[in-house]
Amino acid sequence: MSFEPKTQPFSGKINAVTLGTGDKAIVIGGQNVLPFYTFDAPIENAPKIGVEISDAADSWDVPGLVDFYAGCTTMAERAKKAETMEGADFICLNFESADPNGADRSVEDCVADAKAVAEAVSMPIVIMGCKNMEKDGKLFSAVAEALTGKNILVMSAKNEDYKTVGASVALASGQKVGAETADDINLAKQLNIMLKGLNVPAESIVMNIGTAAVGYGYEYVASTLDRVRDAALKQSDADLQMPIIAPVSTDTWGVKESTASEEDEPAWGNREERGINMEISTAAANLTGGADAVIMRHPAAVATIKKFITELV
Amino acid sequence: MALKGLDIFKLSPKKNCKECGSPTCMAFCMKVAQGAVEIDKCPYFSDDAKAMLNEQTAPPMKTISVGEHKLGGETVLFRHEKTLVSKNLYAASVCTCMDEATVDAKLAAAQTVDYERIGERMYVEFIQVANNQADPAVYANLVKKAAAVGRPLVLECWDVECAKAALEVCGKDVILDGATPANYEAMNELATAKGVVLGVWAENISDLYDTVKALEAKGNKNLVLDVTGKTAKETLANAVLVRRTAIKDGDRTFGYPSIVNLAKLTKGDARLETAYASMFTEKYASIIVMSGMSYAQALPLYGLRQNIFTDPQKPMKVEAKIYPINGADENSPCVLTVDFALTYFLVSGELERSNQPLNLIITDASGMSVLTAWAAGKLSSTTIKKTFEELDIESKIKNRTLIIPGKVAVMKGEIQEKLPNWNVVVGTMEAVQIPKYMKDKEYEAAAAVAAAENAAKAASGATVEVKELSFEELLATKVPAIEVKQWDTQYKGYNPESQTFVTIGERIHCIAPSIRKAMDERDPEPILQRAYEQIKAGATYLDVNIGPAEKDGPERMMWAVKLLQENFNNVPLALDTANMKAIEAGIKVYNRTNGKPIVNSADAGSRIGYIDLAAANDAICIALCSADGIAKDNEERMMHCDNMLERGLSLGMEATDLWFDPLFLVVKGMQDKQMEVLEAIKMFSEKGLKSTGGLSNNSNGAPKDVRPIMDSTLVAMCMMQGLTSAIVNPNDRRLMETIKSCDIFKNHVLYSDSYLDL
Repeated sequence: MSFEPKTQPFSGKINAVTLGTGDKAIVIGGQNVLPFYTFDAPIENAPKIGVEISDAADSWDVPGLVDFYAGCTTMAERAKKAETMEGADFICLNFESADPNGADRSVEDCVADAKAVAEAVSMPIVIMGCKNMEKDGKLFSAVAEALTGKNILVMSAKNEDYKTVGASVALASGQKVGAETADDINLAKQLNIMLKGLNVPAESIVMNIGTAAVGYGYEYVASTLDRVRDAALKQSDADLQMPIIAPVSTDTWGVKESTASEEDEPAWGNREERGINMEISTAAANLTGGADAVIMRHPAAVATIKKFITELV
Repeated sequence: MALKGLDIFKLSPKKNCKECGSPTCMAFCMKVAQGAVEIDKCPYFSDDAKAMLNEQTAPPMKTISVGEHKLGGETVLFRHEKTLVSKNLYAASVCTCMDEATVDAKLAAAQTVDYERIGERMYVEFIQVANNQADPAVYANLVKKAAAVGRPLVLECWDVECAKAALEVCGKDVILDGATPANYEAMNELATAKGVVLGVWAENISDLYDTVKALEAKGNKNLVLDVTGKTAKETLANAVLVRRTAIKDGDRTFGYPSIVNLAKLTKGDARLETAYASMFTEKYASIIVMSGMSYAQALPLYGLRQNIFTDPQKPMKVEAKIYPINGADENSPCVLTVDFALTYFLVSGELERSNQPLNLIITDASGMSVLTAWAAGKLSSTTIKKTFEELDIESKIKNRTLIIPGKVAVMKGEIQEKLPNWNVVVGTMEAVQIPKYMKDKEYEAAAAVAAAENAAKAASGATVEVKELSFEELLATKVPAIEVKQWDTQYKGYNPESQTFVTIGERIHCIAPSIRKAMDERDPEPILQRAYEQIKAGATYLDVNIGPAEKDGPERMMWAVKLLQENFNNVPLALDTANMKAIEAGIKVYNRTNGKPIVNSADAGSRIGYIDLAAANDAICIALCSADGIAKDNEERMMHCDNMLERGLSLGMEATDLWFDPLFLVVKGMQDKQMEVLEAIKMFSEKGLKSTGGLSNNSNGAPKDVRPIMDSTLVAMCMMQGLTSAIVNPNDRRLMETIKSCDIFKNHVLYSDSYLDL
């Protein structure tokens, strides 16, 4: 008796969520199988790559990034340049300088940047805040309103602020909202239930279930991804069927492997290559576990992950 | 599917003759189930039973050894289901298609990556030697060169003559990755004659399956499967289908480790290799063959591998030692924290960010986080002192400032006492506050204060040798007189012969700040109040947790025992502390009218000695069925149960004086393990053993209004399984009413309309 592979498509399905408008709009999610399990069933929509643009990008000192954005002085110029990056599907604006404990940029300045970017690019836009909950609340609501009609994704609503963020971003401005938890599948489900309870449509929710660079407690991320997909597909749990977005670059470019100078770690070799590989490995691990979109920074890493996705779907 | 130890036990002779070398038949069967011993070691198993078991005990996936390395042996597809056991290994590839200089360079490069990360050596474990239609002599020459590196080899060679020549020039730590549907018979002979592992490859997965079947028919089960396809997509499909068929469908034909050759798939694109290797780390490659391995690739790939193959139930630990940060030397201040890997990464990262030279001292805390370790007695002034002595820190570091985690500020005094030459300072509550704290040098003033206090103490000659007092002397001099009050409800008494469920009230616990303060100040009021409330609610026993109590444990426990028993009609107590002397002291003054004292608690690891303590003092002992960390399954739980039972019995205890605790697990986080805990209770019950445990742990972190519902539902399910006791909050009315009702249904108490009020 020869071998006949058993296929395993599930009755449960990940929600298909559209970001952006027009020709460059993208759809994430939609599949009823585990990531890249094309032998079980076709992958409805290939995973997507977002390119991170920060309002603190002046501090990015890696030569490949400096060269790529040479001549760009504003977020809009950088975003326009990022659109040309091989493999880019969407643009992620990281307003980290809005942090009141840091540069404390005003909400008005950030909104002006976001508007300028929206006018300059046609790819979908994803917004990341400064992690200060009070400031992010104001920032998210103002950016979502200013970009009404652009169908952007705002990251993220958390357990503590989902009411204000959910109401202003998804309900008032009709944008997509990210539901952020940290390696806690029970809270991830609860947060989706609460957002739906506010009347946010399930198809307007994207999850960020927690992030880590590989080597830095990534096992928690890996197992949360495995368990979320298990519940969504096998148990058909509608409260966990939201597609998953994984911000990768913000973690990987901050760890020692990517920051230590060649003088400090002579055996390790070229610092930029280390950073690129950290970003690639973390993105690939996330995509293998279940992320439907990753947010990355370096053009070489983005090109590699694009090739990775293309080869596998 | 693998057979469980208990299933084997059912077929065993149950003689406990010890001829097999195991103490009991149960212990033997557990070991057989784990594959630790052969069933043939037992002379009394019937042949029929043996044949049946040999077939059924075979694991779904074989473990294949190459040199010191183990491949395969997995029992689950995802790490959260249990754990993944054999990490993927890496091979660097050389080929006959390369010129000599390239080969030399590649072999040299394969040895450059070699470092340690959290106690694990990170290096390229194998050299893979690919044959690209070379002459046998040419291939053998290359193999010889590769073998000289001294690492096990993967010989990718489908030509029989070449393989023959190659095997003659290398040792036995080799995988001959050469069998195909066309040549498998000849290759099989080569591999078996030499005694090496045979790798099997085929054009498609169906042919691979048939070839494995054919090889197995020839008696060779020492195989690995080369699942490399024409594309990455096909390779992933092969890797997943092979593993899934073995583990999920139980088809052992595919129950072998796998090789994925990325050097073939990526044609030298090292970054793409990093991406694929990350994927195949999660999805089922046992050996990943790379074109090479640079540090830039190794750092993420080995980090990821270490994460994925960490046992989800055993925390990752870093080595206890001094970690100099930002170029710290012997004159830099010291910062102390625990050995839980995440804590280490977090704290060391923030310390680096501070740009201040500091010595990070990692102390042994069984891989627990700061507060958990403190509560469990794994982080105490004694354990810290031990680390300081073992690492000889006083002579290695001249600076005397020692910053401890803000979360254990309560330990400052005790640490200061144990380390009198150091100036102990309380640091920040959270790691993120560290950079600012260090940059502002907030600790300097505090260190100066501590130094002045130390100097004053030294000047007054306060360090007089204290003579250790006997329990009688302590009682006479250190235990305050007990004032007995009038209470409107008294403890009703308890008959230890009764079958009713035993509730152990958990509310007198030092984790509650008011109780901690009351214990410290010997203030009876708050303790008596909580005792009164629990007794009124119908608690059978009261748990008395006096905290780690390193300093004054014995007099503390004696006081608490006398206080509670004299006020409440000799209410029976569970004595709960990491200080064994304190438990012994408590038992000395304990009145047994309403039952023996309970020692809370022993485990099968570092706290096994609590069983001895209970045995020596004729006490009941709670026996936690875990060693260090949560038991990974019921096989392990029952093994611990057996070991502890045997120890207790050998010390003259009654079996029923050991109350086995399966360790209740929190639903938020370990939902998929709840049924296993319930099954464990049934196993205790079937052996005629008593059981107990911290049942309310299941609902930790759940909303206040949900917890009583979860707790009472679980207690009903547990009582159905035979649980005989639980450590609970008796003031949870729903829970207590559920327990009383279950006792009615179990026919332990005669029904009356007022049974809830009794």
